[in-house]
Amino acid sequence: MIDIRDLYKSFGSLAVLRGVSTTIHNGEKVAVIGPSGSGKSTLLRCMNLLEEPSAGEVWLDDRLLTRPDPYFYPEVMRASRTYASMMAQTTAATADEQILQRIRGERLLHRHEGRAFRTALAAVEEKSRLDINRARQRMGMVFQHFNLFNNMTVLQNLTLAPVQLKLKTREQAEQRGMELLERIGLADKRDQYPSTLSGGQKQRIAIVRALAMNPEVMLFDEPTSALDPEMVGEVLDLIKQLANDGMTMVIVTHEMGFAREVADRVLFMEDGNIAEEGTPAALFSSPKNARTQEFLSKVL
Amino acid sequence: MSRVEWELFYNKFITYKGYQVALEGLVVTLEIAVFGLLIGIVIGTLIALIKMIPKEHRVARFFSAVCDVYVAIFRGTPMVVQLLIGWFVLLPSLGLQLNSVTVAICVFGMNSGAYVSEIMRSGIQAVDSGQLEAARAVGLGYWPAMMRVVVPQGVKNILPTLGNEFITLIKETSVVSFIAVVDVTKAFRQIGDSNYSYIIPYLMLALVYLVLVMLISLLVRLMERRLHKGDRHS
Repeated sequence: MIDIRDLYKSFGSLAVLRGVSTTIHNGEKVAVIGPSGSGKSTLLRCMNLLEEPSAGEVWLDDRLLTRPDPYFYPEVMRASRTYASMMAQTTAATADEQILQRIRGERLLHRHEGRAFRTALAAVEEKSRLDINRARQRMGMVFQHFNLFNNMTVLQNLTLAPVQLKLKTREQAEQRGMELLERIGLADKRDQYPSTLSGGQKQRIAIVRALAMNPEVMLFDEPTSALDPEMVGEVLDLIKQLANDGMTMVIVTHEMGFAREVADRVLFMEDGNIAEEGTPAALFSSPKNARTQEFLSKVL
Repeated sequence: MSRVEWELFYNKFITYKGYQVALEGLVVTLEIAVFGLLIGIVIGTLIALIKMIPKEHRVARFFSAVCDVYVAIFRGTPMVVQLLIGWFVLLPSLGLQLNSVTVAICVFGMNSGAYVSEIMRSGIQAVDSGQLEAARAVGLGYWPAMMRVVVPQGVKNILPTLGNEFITLIKETSVVSFIAVVDVTKAFRQIGDSNYSYIIPYLMLALVYLVLVMLISLLVRLMERRLHKGDRHS
């Protein structure tokens, strides 16, 4: 289960995520759709901390992935010197100003608070935080541009992490790697380098590279956007297989047909927020939000 | 180039064994360039490693700033000035007894360290950031991810440029006679001095450097081709 609580992310003064909250339950397949620049990929990348959120928290089961957000802990805020003055300062008129103030407030707290605050925050962190490398072992990620390790053969791509992290011996990892390659019909490519493969092959290998860690959750960041049209099918088929096996997944995608077919729940993102969510049937056939309607009328 | 000049040169170079001086000079030139580059690689790697440490910690920021100052000083002043300071200022004030070739090697090493660190930094930066992200995403820590995935790919960018740095070093060593080192330049100058005829010795000197540099760039190109054998299609 991934629990996202009031997540904010800004790049400079550009607030890309503006207070996103949602929960991804075990076994659930969630598709994230929306116009480009709406924060879909940023949300996904915050889930395994490739992007560090500016405020808010991400939980994996009962452990905290991000650093704790002081706003959520009254005992921490009570230890704060600037808390009172910051609360009094809610002069922000527009929603935009409020969001930037929230993010700035968070940054100021982390940077300028005194020992009492730090100790209180460290206590929370001690209690619930999960080491990020441990967490990432449980969450596979698939990128738009595949990102296979170019300096390694296909099989080495699959065995690097399990061997390096001492989860498996080399023999075990290679055996598992070959099983996975056979499953996608690319066992004969084991000793080739990624540069000799087609986009569809690369992406399927990137997917099984993530599977080699036996993750509980898979995160897909526009897995078919960089592919030639004739290769989209083979990648989507593999993702569908995973879905049928019961894998929990979050898929950022522009493939509406695929989202409708595979997802249990669809999130429509707009301007850094979840504007609407629901079952694919409900969201695609009778969207309630005006922006959702407009977006769907353009892409369907 | 009259016949007389050729005869004078031949006389000095062959009959009076001037080629021995020239050869000794050539060895000194190569010595300074090779050891200079080796020291440069050690210093450059060290600086590049320090610059790779994530800047979250105050200590990392401090050492990174120290490296910046080092690089700025050695890239911001001429080689000759660095040699002169090393030989006439630092050596006496530190009370060290070193011969001038050793000093030249040290100064060239430190100078080249500044350049090599930049070569390494940019070579590693040129590796697609998705590679590090993918390595982190499967659960590798920052350093294992860098060492297993990013740095090996960066080395491909770095090695050929290091070859060019070596070529630059060889040519730059021609100023070491400022601190009384007899390198190949000084040797040919002495040959010219001996009978006040400089045309042929200096043209010969240029030819020596040219052949040397062309040989090395040939080696660099071969190395480059071997390194990129794997990724012809990308």
